[in-house]
Amino acid sequence: MQNRHTATDRFVVSRDKEAATHLSPGLFPAGRQSEWSAQNRTLIFSIHPLSNKTALAVGGKKTRESLSNDTLTFDQDQRVHICGISTESDSRLAFINDTHAVFVALQQLMEEAGADDSTASAVGIKGLVKMSVLYREAMQRQSRVLADIADPNEFIKEEAETFRAIHAVWHLLEIIYLTTNTPGLSTSIVPHFMEWLNANFLAPLAEDAHRIAGGSPTADDLARNELLWPYLKKLALRGHVSVLGNMLERLAPSQLLSASAARWARSLSQLCRKMPLSSSDETAGSFNSRWRQWNEELRGHATAIGCLLGDAGEKDGGAGGDKDKALEALFAISEVMRGDLDAIAAEGEMWQDIMGATLLYSEPTARADRLPALVGAIIEQFEESAFTELDRALVALLNHDLAEFLVHCDHIDHWLSAHISDLMDHISVLDICRRVFVVDPREHYLMALGESYLGHEDLWRVGLDYLGLCRTVAGALVMEEYVTRIPLDSDRKAEQVLRVCEVYTLECARDRIHRQLGRQKWQRGRLGAAIAHFAQVCDHDSIGLICDQIWNAYISSGELTYGPTIDGVMASSSLSEGSGSLLHHEGLQFLSKYRDFHELYAAGAFVEAGKVLLSILLCEIAPAYALGDLLVDSIPLLEGDTLVFSSEDTFELMRVAESLAQSQMRQSQQDGAIDCSEMNIFNVACTRNLARSFVMF
Amino acid sequence: MSKLQVQPVARKVTAISWLPPRAGTAYTDTELYFVTGSGAKHKELVLWTTPNPDFAQSEPDSTNDLAAVVSKVPHNGDVQGIIALSPSLLATASSTGIISVYNMDTESGSMELGESVTAHKFSNGEVAGATSLAVQPTGALDVEVASCGEDGRIAFTALSRLKEPQGYEVDSTVITDLCWTTPTQLAITTRGGQIKIFDRRMPSEILAAFANSQSSQALESIAVHPSQPFRLATGTAGGSVLVWDIRDMRQPVIEELAVHEANVWQVRFDPADSTRVISCSEDASIAVTQWATEGRGAVALGVAPPERGVRRLSSMFNALSINCFDICPSTRTHLLVAGSDSGNLLMEKTVNPDFKLF
Repeated sequence: MQNRHTATDRFVVSRDKEAATHLSPGLFPAGRQSEWSAQNRTLIFSIHPLSNKTALAVGGKKTRESLSNDTLTFDQDQRVHICGISTESDSRLAFINDTHAVFVALQQLMEEAGADDSTASAVGIKGLVKMSVLYREAMQRQSRVLADIADPNEFIKEEAETFRAIHAVWHLLEIIYLTTNTPGLSTSIVPHFMEWLNANFLAPLAEDAHRIAGGSPTADDLARNELLWPYLKKLALRGHVSVLGNMLERLAPSQLLSASAARWARSLSQLCRKMPLSSSDETAGSFNSRWRQWNEELRGHATAIGCLLGDAGEKDGGAGGDKDKALEALFAISEVMRGDLDAIAAEGEMWQDIMGATLLYSEPTARADRLPALVGAIIEQFEESAFTELDRALVALLNHDLAEFLVHCDHIDHWLSAHISDLMDHISVLDICRRVFVVDPREHYLMALGESYLGHEDLWRVGLDYLGLCRTVAGALVMEEYVTRIPLDSDRKAEQVLRVCEVYTLECARDRIHRQLGRQKWQRGRLGAAIAHFAQVCDHDSIGLICDQIWNAYISSGELTYGPTIDGVMASSSLSEGSGSLLHHEGLQFLSKYRDFHELYAAGAFVEAGKVLLSILLCEIAPAYALGDLLVDSIPLLEGDTLVFSSEDTFELMRVAESLAQSQMRQSQQDGAIDCSEMNIFNVACTRNLARSFVMF
Repeated sequence: MSKLQVQPVARKVTAISWLPPRAGTAYTDTELYFVTGSGAKHKELVLWTTPNPDFAQSEPDSTNDLAAVVSKVPHNGDVQGIIALSPSLLATASSTGIISVYNMDTESGSMELGESVTAHKFSNGEVAGATSLAVQPTGALDVEVASCGEDGRIAFTALSRLKEPQGYEVDSTVITDLCWTTPTQLAITTRGGQIKIFDRRMPSEILAAFANSQSSQALESIAVHPSQPFRLATGTAGGSVLVWDIRDMRQPVIEELAVHEANVWQVRFDPADSTRVISCSEDASIAVTQWATEGRGAVALGVAPPERGVRRLSSMFNALSINCFDICPSTRTHLLVAGSDSGNLLMEKTVNPDFKLF
């Protein structure tokens, strides 16, 4: 396989909503797949365990040996293609980072509010509303970014549609479970629902009014405008009654309207201005009284216009069609505004419009618990098979069917299902549907989202936070598995990964990463750094092996160059937490003291050097294979002009020598003879030093 | 906690540097320029421009972006450090151990690679990431750039002889940062928790080495006081900022300021007021720390000296590590720009004295 890595190409596969992804360009020439297949060629692949990359190559279906001689084979298949399946578009990076920050802040907020019972009541609805608004601001920013892209491709258009849907769903949930629960606010959902409707679904805009009115300077021009009546009906449906009133007042002087139509337009305009609006300082009874009065007045108008229309139809079937149309439109508007469900259903194109108008004109003080009954009646009039995922999610939410709602949210986008289930958990409504799911939905969706980010070079840290903050054992286990597989490209990234382990108390992962880093440094010849990492996990065996390597390098070169290595290690070991035991590692202590011995000897401090050498031998920190060299090192001190070793010291040296000789004897019986010449010199030097010490002391 | 202004840039910003003024010390440019380096998926250098806040007419409104892209150029490896040598010359350190020099022209917006050299390698031949670089403060035309790396080496590269770097192994762990304390002396920090001082003329010999006996943390970053070469500031892996007085090399005086909760990736003395130390950290915040209260002109004028304390800067929309920052050297307005792992540019234009006491 090594020989095949002669070149690598990079392919990009754009994210597809479906499971299938397609290489572009393909590895087989277009239209020649069957020909290639007949010639023993197929695709082979291997998926990277962590990242979203796949290695692809064109290979043989059968081995060459099993092919007949006349089968064509190819030598040019020497390429391995690295195929990156980009699950997250770069256009989403800013949004993902923004909302990750809000997500982390929300978890901190809930944690600080109550370590034991992190409920909405502890933090306060206002805090959660603030967080929810921050999420929505991020969605709106992303929508603006997507809208600003010049010449958008299909993917960008889909993304824009997805973000509109995400915002609509989030906003409605916020209204039902947060805004209408805010203390001090009227609990009627109607004004909030209308705000939601106009913010998320194409609403009659002020610009439209200016366009229609601006292009029609006189009332007659306005009456002739084909767009006028549909626009006025839309205004009525969406509750823009003040704009409707203004437009009707402007239209009323038109000569093209019949006298009765003009009169009723003017009258309806005045009624629009009188429409009661609820306020938080008004009691429900007072508002209902005002509303009934207004509604009765409107009913009277509608009845009168209806009678006029009936009379006109009887008298004159075809003449004055335009004027009749105006009257008809006024009748429709007044019927909508008096809350006639049939009229609303006839005028509304979308179920959301009908829902809004029904709430506004028929049940202006409705609360959130009234929504399921209303939405059930309304969607019966629509073909559900034509519903989009957004429609299904919204209907499920209005029905308070939260399990189905979450499933549809997940179909819209994984980001939405993860974050909305988290929010629902914080406002304690997720418990209602938890039993429906086999696994905890918040955990499941957050983990799925986190895992999807792990393969992205810029988002691995974000992904780990989602895994860590889903607050479950499964999340911690998955995190522990992933975190040890993150490529440690640089020292800083290694520090960041270790920091993650510290924050989420992943002890096992931390140990594995330190061992991994230790082996990596060792392989790269950075022995000091390797020892520091092994020391963090108290891997004495590996430290011992590195010490042996250092000693062997010294013995083979004769140059004591490991000083800086030891210095760095001793500094780091004395400073790093959890590595206190490293200082007691015999191998390191031996190397350190041996270096000190040489430095003292080179500086002419023979007595001190002798003490260090003797301490190495007495503490028995030197490995057995180094004892001979240490005793040989003592010969110049034993033979020097200055008496370095006392008689007791000399006896100790001789004891070590005797112990070494015995061990060598045992070894020689197994391996063969040993060279005793240096030991003989040592023995003589000891004898002389002993004699001198007796004389001196 | 003060808020930083945020601009999402959709790439991890790992290094940042303001360009020196085009008009020399008399700074009258209406547009300021800075360069960011990024890593991970988008390895590139980006030249940015932002209006000079000293000129009221060019003040951007709150809806505008903080800065606009002038040009961008791919970079070999993650950008670990950037030094602006002049308005038209830039040196970078890479995670692939490469030191590169880029030529640019802010007028035309061009930026292109001039020369590059691999300065850091492990003994087994693998590339070692460069961790930082610093330019020798000589004022000479042919300046020397010192870099340090994960291979425990410092490398000296003269701009006129870029292809001939001189490397010296000076530590057995990772050298995390370095700075020139004088034109002939430089200091490094190590993962082993040491500061080591070198003389450029004898770069293989360590003049002095210090460690903080009171603390148990690796050192991540270092900076030298603008006028007192014996005073150093270091950031630690545990989140502390240490201010060192190394006049007595046998026993340096250390002041520990616990200002962050995680690794301090960069530390600088505030060029406008060196009694403040500014630091950025893995904990997603920037800290402006009033470490000294003496020697200020305010005292002479009869004004009460500032109280010791720390002011934190962060953003609601930035949850990940702030990797780097730089302070514009030539504006009256205190202009700080930073980059983060959350893919944000962060900016602060004034320093308010709302310090929280230690």
